[in-house]
Amino acid sequence: MIRCTIASLAIAGLAATTALAQQPARGDYMLRASLNSDIRSTQPGGNRDFNTDSVMLHVVEGLVALSEKIAVVPMLAEKVDLSEDGRTYRFTIRDGVSFHNGAPLTSAEVLWSLKRYLDPATQWRCLPDVNGSSGLAKITDVAAPDARTVTITLEQPAALFLSILARPDCGSTGIMHPSSVGADGAWAKPIGTGPYSLGEWRRGQYIELERFDRYASLPGARDGFAGGKQAYAARLRFVVIPDSSATKAALLAGNIDVQGDVPSPELPDLRARSGIIVQAAPSMGMTALLMQTRDPLLKDVRIRRALALAIDVPELVSSMIGSDAPSNPSPVPSASAFHSEAQNARPARDVAAAKRLLAEAGYRGQTIRMITNRRYPNVYDAAVATQAMASEAGIKIELEVLDWATQLDRYTRGDYQMMSFIYSSRLEPSLSYEMISGPKDTQARKVWETPEALALIQRSMRVTDAAERQGIFEELFRRFMAEVPAIPLYNQPDYVATRAGINGVQPWASGQTRLWGVWRQ
Amino acid sequence: MTPLYALKRLALALPTLLLVAVAVFGLLRLVPGDPAQLMLGDAADATQLAELRRSMGLEGPLWLQFATWLGHALQGNLGVSLANGEAVLPLILDRFQVTAAIVLLAVLLAGMIAVPLGTIAAWKQNSFLDLSVVGGATLLLSIPSFWLGLLLLILFGLNLGWVPVVGYVTFGENPWQAALYIVLPVLTLMLIETGVLTRMARSAAIDVLRLEYVAHARSKGLSEAAVLGRHVLPNAFAPTLTLLGIVLGNLLGGIAVIETVFTLPGLGRLLVDGIYARDYPVVQGTMLFVATIYVLVNLLVDLLYPLFDPRVTAE
Repeated sequence: MIRCTIASLAIAGLAATTALAQQPARGDYMLRASLNSDIRSTQPGGNRDFNTDSVMLHVVEGLVALSEKIAVVPMLAEKVDLSEDGRTYRFTIRDGVSFHNGAPLTSAEVLWSLKRYLDPATQWRCLPDVNGSSGLAKITDVAAPDARTVTITLEQPAALFLSILARPDCGSTGIMHPSSVGADGAWAKPIGTGPYSLGEWRRGQYIELERFDRYASLPGARDGFAGGKQAYAARLRFVVIPDSSATKAALLAGNIDVQGDVPSPELPDLRARSGIIVQAAPSMGMTALLMQTRDPLLKDVRIRRALALAIDVPELVSSMIGSDAPSNPSPVPSASAFHSEAQNARPARDVAAAKRLLAEAGYRGQTIRMITNRRYPNVYDAAVATQAMASEAGIKIELEVLDWATQLDRYTRGDYQMMSFIYSSRLEPSLSYEMISGPKDTQARKVWETPEALALIQRSMRVTDAAERQGIFEELFRRFMAEVPAIPLYNQPDYVATRAGINGVQPWASGQTRLWGVWRQ
Repeated sequence: MTPLYALKRLALALPTLLLVAVAVFGLLRLVPGDPAQLMLGDAADATQLAELRRSMGLEGPLWLQFATWLGHALQGNLGVSLANGEAVLPLILDRFQVTAAIVLLAVLLAGMIAVPLGTIAAWKQNSFLDLSVVGGATLLLSIPSFWLGLLLLILFGLNLGWVPVVGYVTFGENPWQAALYIVLPVLTLMLIETGVLTRMARSAAIDVLRLEYVAHARSKGLSEAAVLGRHVLPNAFAPTLTLLGIVLGNLLGGIAVIETVFTLPGLGRLLVDGIYARDYPVVQGTMLFVATIYVLVNLLVDLLYPLFDPRVTAE
């Protein structure tokens, strides 16, 4: 008995904000985009980082993928059916899909891929999320009843299961042909079904992808990591350029066509140039000020509230990124479908009220040390602006500027008073709350450990009804604002700069540069 | 200069290399953060971290980790990169080729310009020419390499479009393209090192010009060209050679800033990336390699020294 069906390819109407004024041209040319560091490997979801995901998602595709609106939609699956008890997912595989080696996609390859991901030796990043370790989901069985069907059975219903499969950091659980590994089982290269296949990887220099001429595109326009994927350029080259000034020079000189992840200090100059187009979209990552709620000083909620009242967050955000992204007081990203208007409510700056709270709490000008870093300029700028604004309320903040690895270490150990921090994207609201919440005794990095809140977050991961989940997130937001374990500032925008004549580039919430659907005029 | 002397010097270098290995290993482990943490980022939970650390060989006592690494290093195996699983020694050698090509060319050109220029400036000491050379050299050695590199990049790469701004190919693949890619890094490095070497060459030449045998040569009626070419230049070159050795040793260890500005996959960038990623095998291997290069270059300089200064014997 089928309880619900994810609409088969309800993708066509979504997104597609690509500039279609120009006629796309499929040709024998190469598009070049920058990467600020080399990829770590060619194993989707394995030894990976953000750049690895960005490149590999051109090569492999999963059964499901994220749409432009961060919803889970079918990709290699034609449809996904969920059993009445909410435990078994039945994936019907699309017909006519081929791997880069010409072999047709059947349930056998899907089964092989899923079993490989579930093998701890693969070191799949998302294994803890599907084997019960993290508490999100536990797969108990994977089967292929026929050539076009694959079933996955869970121990108990899990609202986030399909989201996990679709996550870019899980490599979209990309389905690959068994010849991706050698006879000895060692990794060779990804033989996927994506619009591009892996070409040459010159470590430290570039990764080149080649157009897969037999790619079976879905109908319709590009939609996140799903939808129609037109490979207009014959080759894609991701050029590794660590220095942002050199990247800008390369873009201006025409040595690259697309610069992703443009640092904000470069924006004014790039925007002023006639041959360059800069676009922005709010991502799902969060820049926030974290407070150690077990610190002798900051465990007093009145001091944390005073800090929140002392900072003019909208002004701070506006001074850093203009109108490219709004300030967002909620851990749920503003681009999420679960981010409601109610979650935009942030108390206005009130220095007098902050001073009153501080007096009530007995604050006598003790120094609060705030950790920040210079790797992410906006994180540093936010710390400096916070320091200045807080001083007007009489709060003394001293900055401790560390390198990113050291800050991450201090974060993981919970060894800080305050921290200006940047979180990577969480594409699911439950995970947005989970990333900051948990018992500090066992997970020192967490900032919010109120038991009621943790119980609500756990519930949001089990409940599948959207309206009920929305209610949970509203309640979590209300509690979060009252307890102020952190001050979310904004979801950092994803900036992409392109040379004039390059069409179809569109930044979006995931932050990853997509070069399918992009063409040279 | 005997082979025995060279061997003795090499043997003396072994304790230095061991000290380098201990210091690098110890310092790296003292720095907070580790590769497992960086790989998992803000999503790292304790179980995942422990599992990844175990798979990376980062569990267990430090002395055991060090002994294991050193044992392998003595057999020529510097381990594999924690970031991408590549063998470290081939990675270092591959990156060293890029750095060496740029450094050797830049230092050779700088030496060819600086030594005669410094000698002429010394010969015309306190003249306008001398002041100009000293002023120019001081300016060059004061300019930060990243800034000079960026200026050259903007001028020749961006505004004039004569050379590509990013990329690299080896001379074996395409000599002309390779030359275009390295011309600006070589020019940047050459200009800066010319400043350093010119000042040294001038200072050494001034000392030599004051010696009695130069006055004697002049009183014999030798032309100034002969005095400079035969008596001043060879004798003034010996101290410059020492500096050249130090400079070469330093630069062959990596020109991280220049490699970053010009997007070159060299040894310096490998080291810096390794430090940021806490890629212990890469950093340890690279530092050991750099120390070895330093020792070898200085040994070579010591062995060459008697050729320029017969008072020194390599015994």
